[in-house]
Amino acid sequence: MPGLVALIVWGLVTGVAMVKSDLSAQSAALMSLLVYAGSAQLTALPLIAAGAPLWLIFAAGLIVNLRFVIFGAALHPYFKTMSWPKRLLMGYLSVDVALVVFMPRFNDAPVKGTVEQHWFYLGAILTSWFVWQLTSLTGIVLGAFVPASWSLEFAAILALIAIMMPLVNNRPILVSILTAGLVAWIAQPLPLRLGLIAAVVAGSISGIWAETVNRNRRKVR
Amino acid sequence: MSADLYLYAAIFLLALCSVICRAGYLVFGHLMPLSDRVRSALRYAPLAALTAIIVPELLPWHAQYGPLLDFKLAAAIVAIWVFRFTRSALLLIVSGMLALWLLRWVSML
Repeated sequence: MPGLVALIVWGLVTGVAMVKSDLSAQSAALMSLLVYAGSAQLTALPLIAAGAPLWLIFAAGLIVNLRFVIFGAALHPYFKTMSWPKRLLMGYLSVDVALVVFMPRFNDAPVKGTVEQHWFYLGAILTSWFVWQLTSLTGIVLGAFVPASWSLEFAAILALIAIMMPLVNNRPILVSILTAGLVAWIAQPLPLRLGLIAAVVAGSISGIWAETVNRNRRKVR
Repeated sequence: MSADLYLYAAIFLLALCSVICRAGYLVFGHLMPLSDRVRSALRYAPLAALTAIIVPELLPWHAQYGPLLDFKLAAAIVAIWVFRFTRSALLLIVSGMLALWLLRWVSML
């Protein structure tokens, strides 16, 4: 299963990256257990290292996790009959890999919200949770033995690029990323890493703009 | 604020982010239908945020000397190039690390 391989690599890299950016093994383990979100953790590491204000770390965490709001909207029809504490738990444990396994299988299901679907999803998220925690803890332990001169924290940046690459598949997204990248580059001298917020605003606006331009051009043809 | 407290507060806030974003719609979704416009904004923001984290690592801007070039940028370009051919996240990470080590080694000769 490619999803599982991705999860293993990703967990290891995140574990190593956390201890390489000066988190103690205990706080890295706590972060992995509670936050349980690779991209948000890797995003937060440079911010924590730079001593960025807490509100900015919170905002960055929210923005990177926004994709889960879309996922939640996709999953909602399958779980709306459940009690809210169960939905809270199912939601909190949701990860990309689980959704990627679940959606193609039950996308066209005539009845949404069956017991089989609930158990399938629970199995997927629990497997993901254990694989992630195990590999992440392995990474935390291994990280202590890797010398700093190997710059293994760069693997975390490469891993972030690896999440982005398959998603960059149309022109508006490319426009959005190039704009965000340019703003993020120019805005670096700004204090408190505020360039992050500026880049997100610029990236979102230019993406929506490019989408509108694209659509209008198609209409003209 | 002590360094420990800062770190634990950051971890707690990030955990809160996970709960809000992942469970928020499942718990309160029936109360808030998403318009198409909001949906497309939600699509661009996460990638823009990831870009904004990656760019300063690849193209750092020094307080005194201005923009700097780093081997990391070249290594990332190699990694992206490898991904375009192989579509493999693992090979992207491996090739990027190898390229970085190779460039540093060559520059020290």
